[in-house]
Amino acid sequence: MKKLLNIVSYILLGIYFATVLTEAQAISWYRIQEMFYFKSFHMYGLLGSAIATGALSIWIIKKFNIKSINHNPIEVKDKPFQWKANFGGGIIFGLGWGLTGACSAPLFISLGINWKIGILLLIGALAGTYLYGILKDKLPH
Amino acid sequence: MKNEPLAWYIAGPLIGLIVPLLLLLKEKQFGISSSYRFLIAGFTKKIGYFNYNREQDAWQFYFVIGLILTGIYYGLYGYDMNALKTTKTNVVGFSGGDVMHYVSTSGFYDLSNWAIFLFGGVLIGFGSRYSNGCTAGHCIMGMSQFSLTSFIATIGFFIGGLIATYFIIPYLF
Repeated sequence: MKKLLNIVSYILLGIYFATVLTEAQAISWYRIQEMFYFKSFHMYGLLGSAIATGALSIWIIKKFNIKSINHNPIEVKDKPFQWKANFGGGIIFGLGWGLTGACSAPLFISLGINWKIGILLLIGALAGTYLYGILKDKLPH
Repeated sequence: MKNEPLAWYIAGPLIGLIVPLLLLLKEKQFGISSSYRFLIAGFTKKIGYFNYNREQDAWQFYFVIGLILTGIYYGLYGYDMNALKTTKTNVVGFSGGDVMHYVSTSGFYDLSNWAIFLFGGVLIGFGSRYSNGCTAGHCIMGMSQFSLTSFIATIGFFIGGLIATYFIIPYLF
């Protein structure tokens, strides 16, 4: 029962996130194109205010030492610094983002809205992940 | 169908709120693309990268189920991703004309563009795993914690996106 509740709570958080993204049209190739053409402030406003909200929340949590719902201290860890991988992988990811207008969350939302398009994206993403798994040790990190 | 997007100054903070929600309720740092690794590791563990304790990423898979369910809901209620092309994104009043001349009348979300979705998907999967995060984990979560790692990754995302937009997409249609 506790495990089920845990799963359901994540699904609800996913629904919350996806609803906002979809209503804001951040899942749309057209909005992403406008962003990369610097023709609209919409996506920059979205990303900027999302980061500002996240940063302010983390600052408040740290400043007042706020505990989690289970009374544990909140740890915010940095991902390992591997600039070649972060930057090189970032460019590759960005190419996919620019081409398809989808990053990871919109990819899964599209799968629900239009499964024929979504399944192509998902098969591609899983193939890409598999490819990375094979090549990982040969790539600069 | 309503064409105007929810205003950025409302939607943006709501998106950012996922960071404290996950930290306070779940003690998790926001991210999505580890779900790809989780899914592959469910099929094979022969390759070292997938031979890991996948339970640590299971929550991202549950989160993703929420994303898909939301998509299904919108799909059932007639959300048409191509309809969004005519939207005036209200803030600067961009008409969409610059983008649209590339795309056929059926719109970008058409199966005739299958190769773009498939190959683009490969780049998304490969790139997000190589970079160790996507727009969720690096742009939103990582930038919120002022992580240099995520700053570098985010610069990469935009360079890649600009290359695709200016040097690839114009030659695809």
